[in-house]
Amino acid sequence: MLKINNLNSGYGKLQVLYDLSIEIPEKEITVVVGPNGAGKTTLLCSIMGITNVFSGEVLFNGDSLKNLPTYLLARKGISYVPQMGNVFADLSVRDNLQMAGYLLPVAEARKKAQEMTEIFPVLKRFIDRKAATLSGGERRMLAIAMGLMKNPKLMLLDELSTDLAPIIAEKVILEVARLRDELGITILMVEQLAKRALEIGDKAYLLVSGGVKFAGEARDLLSEPELCSLYLGIKKPAAAQIVPLTEGSR
Amino acid sequence: MEPWLATGLIYASALALAAGGLTLLYIATRTFNFAHASMATVGFYVVYSGCVLIGGNPYIYFPLAFLVGGLLGVICYYGLNRPLLRRGAAEITLMMSTLGYDLILLSLIQMYADYLTFSMQLFPRRVNMNVYDFKLLGENAATIILPILAIVFLTGLHLFLVKTRFGVAMRATIEKPVLAGASGINSDRVYLVAWLIGGGMAALGGAAMSMAVTGTPVLGMNSISFMFAGAILGGLHSLYGGILGGFVVGLAEYAGVFYLSQLFGTWVLGYRMAIPLLLMAVTLLIFPRGLAGIPWTALYNGLVGKKGGAKA
Amino acid sequence: MKTQNTIIEKMLKSRLFNNSEILVTIAILIFLTFFLISHGVPMILTILIDFAVFAIVTMSLNLETGLTGIPQFGRVLAVIAGAFAVGAIPGRIMAAFMGLPFGADYTQDIIQFQIAPEITATLSASWVLSLLFFLLCLVVAAVSGAVIGWLTSRPAIRLKEAYLGISLLAFGDFFMWVGHNWAPLVGGSTSVFVPDPFRIFGEARFEAVVIVIFLAAMLVYVYLNRLASSPFGRTLKMVRDNEISASAAGKDVTKIRTQSLVIGSILAAIAGGLYVIYTGTVTATGYSRLVWTFWPWAFMMLGGIGSTTGVLLGVMVLTIMRTIITVYRFEIFGFLMEWGINPLWLEFTLMGAVIVGVILFLPHGLVPEKVQSILPAKRLERVLAKNNDLYNRNTVQ
Repeated sequence: MLKINNLNSGYGKLQVLYDLSIEIPEKEITVVVGPNGAGKTTLLCSIMGITNVFSGEVLFNGDSLKNLPTYLLARKGISYVPQMGNVFADLSVRDNLQMAGYLLPVAEARKKAQEMTEIFPVLKRFIDRKAATLSGGERRMLAIAMGLMKNPKLMLLDELSTDLAPIIAEKVILEVARLRDELGITILMVEQLAKRALEIGDKAYLLVSGGVKFAGEARDLLSEPELCSLYLGIKKPAAAQIVPLTEGSR
Repeated sequence: MEPWLATGLIYASALALAAGGLTLLYIATRTFNFAHASMATVGFYVVYSGCVLIGGNPYIYFPLAFLVGGLLGVICYYGLNRPLLRRGAAEITLMMSTLGYDLILLSLIQMYADYLTFSMQLFPRRVNMNVYDFKLLGENAATIILPILAIVFLTGLHLFLVKTRFGVAMRATIEKPVLAGASGINSDRVYLVAWLIGGGMAALGGAAMSMAVTGTPVLGMNSISFMFAGAILGGLHSLYGGILGGFVVGLAEYAGVFYLSQLFGTWVLGYRMAIPLLLMAVTLLIFPRGLAGIPWTALYNGLVGKKGGAKA
Repeated sequence: MKTQNTIIEKMLKSRLFNNSEILVTIAILIFLTFFLISHGVPMILTILIDFAVFAIVTMSLNLETGLTGIPQFGRVLAVIAGAFAVGAIPGRIMAAFMGLPFGADYTQDIIQFQIAPEITATLSASWVLSLLFFLLCLVVAAVSGAVIGWLTSRPAIRLKEAYLGISLLAFGDFFMWVGHNWAPLVGGSTSVFVPDPFRIFGEARFEAVVIVIFLAAMLVYVYLNRLASSPFGRTLKMVRDNEISASAAGKDVTKIRTQSLVIGSILAAIAGGLYVIYTGTVTATGYSRLVWTFWPWAFMMLGGIGSTTGVLLGVMVLTIMRTIITVYRFEIFGFLMEWGINPLWLEFTLMGAVIVGVILFLPHGLVPEKVQSILPAKRLERVLAKNNDLYNRNTVQ
């Protein structure tokens, strides 16, 4: 679905990604892991057209995404949940969800927002409060809810698990797997919780210093002891386990 | 009512509208709109033309002034601001481009004034709009109607920004353009509407101002410093700050001059400019976040005895 | 490494004058000749003096904005300072010497009508006195310019970009209001006469004034050109382009900005003083920010921000165009008068259109700032050839 060829990009004149090529197959979860500063966020920003792309192409179902304004990407069905700046601080939780559902028909948006408050009850409690008054974890849940609202074809998720209590993080990871299984959404997720992400993921890329150090099946990366301990902090890569879908849901 | 207060209220309302428009344009597009000066003057001339060419009281032409101002804003967006924004132009460049636009508009205004003078036998270069006004409760109607008009308009604007989907989308885009884009909001349309409203507010401000001071082709040019002062006092990051800042600057000018002239004599009148300047300097050097930086909610809570209510 | 390549290439290609400069100069000469033929010498002289005064003002603006990066929207302030100083002080000093009233009532109409011609008569009797008076005017203007320059540097420490521009604009406005209202300064809403040190030339007074002011402009040009290529000039550009690295390199950014503003304001004030001497009067309201801040900005933008030569070309091109509008307003724009419209307003349209046009289509102006060569091109080539190895190894293919 998404093909990235020989991407060189960065911020201003600073280059971060070097000749990167990545392929994201449809209806699968592709996990991008790696140490801090590897360029994982830059990769997502390059797809969304937010950073400086020096050269290379980004193809979405064959169409080039180069130079397209961000909102057109959203309208093509690409949903992006950034790690930072992912909620509208000045708007109420309700308004945030309304904005997330901007492209949907009003009634459907309202329905989806309702669903979100079921999945994340804390949002229902604070529905009229300004997002800026929420705690870090609450804000992240709102950001995730906003990302989930869109009915996208492709979701770009940047370190969703940050700031979340382990129980909630687990819930979120399972939710992401559900999106792939029940709704057929293609997902590109950058994650620090490498082990869990690789367990539910299909394909994996290990990014180090702006280049790909591993590309292949997620479970294969898990069984590479050197890479895992060197870059991912996974001490004992166990055999990957397929996680049952209905476990511990909402 | 005291004459200075009667006029001062009108003037302050006018500056509130103008400074609000300036702030809106700045927070939306990082552009200090110099052309606010001529857009305001155009607003005045629309109302004046309506009164002398068609007839009636000035207020019925205010909506038309808003629309014309909005149109000028839209032209500025499509012709100047948008190409420059797409190029990633610096703030100075954006401001300079509006200066050029302002000069062009000024020349057109002057030519229009010439035309009215010669072909219509009118005197559009020194206009006292009060002659077209009527009396209300013993004062010029403007003193009562204009502040009310300003409040009604600003309430409407507030409701638009808070209750309508597009209004919320505008606030979202202004706050976080990237996230708004990722949500599918078309930023181009947001900026277009911002220029429409901003230009319209400038025109309304100019039309209102003409009811307080003499209407001339350089009405806007002469007041642009005060409009900037009001916007800066407001803090330049909040529309409501800008509105309040404009109002405070306007009222302070009239009140200040009145009281100072009581203390020191009428020569003070010549230095009325010093008051907005002082407010601006104080804001820039001491208080950069301006009026909008004051934690109003916390103050209010403190006053009514509520405890800080961030997290339940 | 790629950037390094291009800069060295530019240095190798740098000549004294590049193509656009030559073309524009030729166009200017053609127009000037045309004016000479159609309207004679007085017209050329008027153009030259217009050009000279605005050239000095615009070059001073270029120093502060183009080279140092300070958005000087209050240029009118320094010009007014020079103009008011020359209107208020030298005449008074002469009056004091001659036993005439020189206090607050100096500026009153009746008194002015009497003393001004008297002072001028005294001046025109002595070459020495005239020269001294002229120099006094320049000194007075320069000092008031320096003071204004120092004052404007204070906000420039804390404020940046558009905020600074607007603050400077507001200060300029304020000063004009003061002049307009404080009668003892320069007669408030009436005007003040300035004794004429050039009356001694008699019939050739106008020509003499033009020559002197034109020479002054050329002196300023030479001075600023050398300043731009001097170490100080390079420091200014460093502060303009990257304040943080300039600071890290040990430059006192505040001091440099102050110096730039003071020099620029002195020059602008001198221009104001010269203009006042030329016209012989000072009217407080005659100095609008339109003409003395915004026009110079338009000149500078058209010419090319940062390039002193560009400034001259910009001023000349637009002065010619303004003259065309003024002189030929009936022939070209006469049709407007059918509706009672005065074609002179088109000058504003022109300036506005120039600013808009330059920003949209010619952002670097007619003469883009040249990459400054440290060595002459030939020597640079030799040095590079000698170190070819080093050069090639260091560039990324």
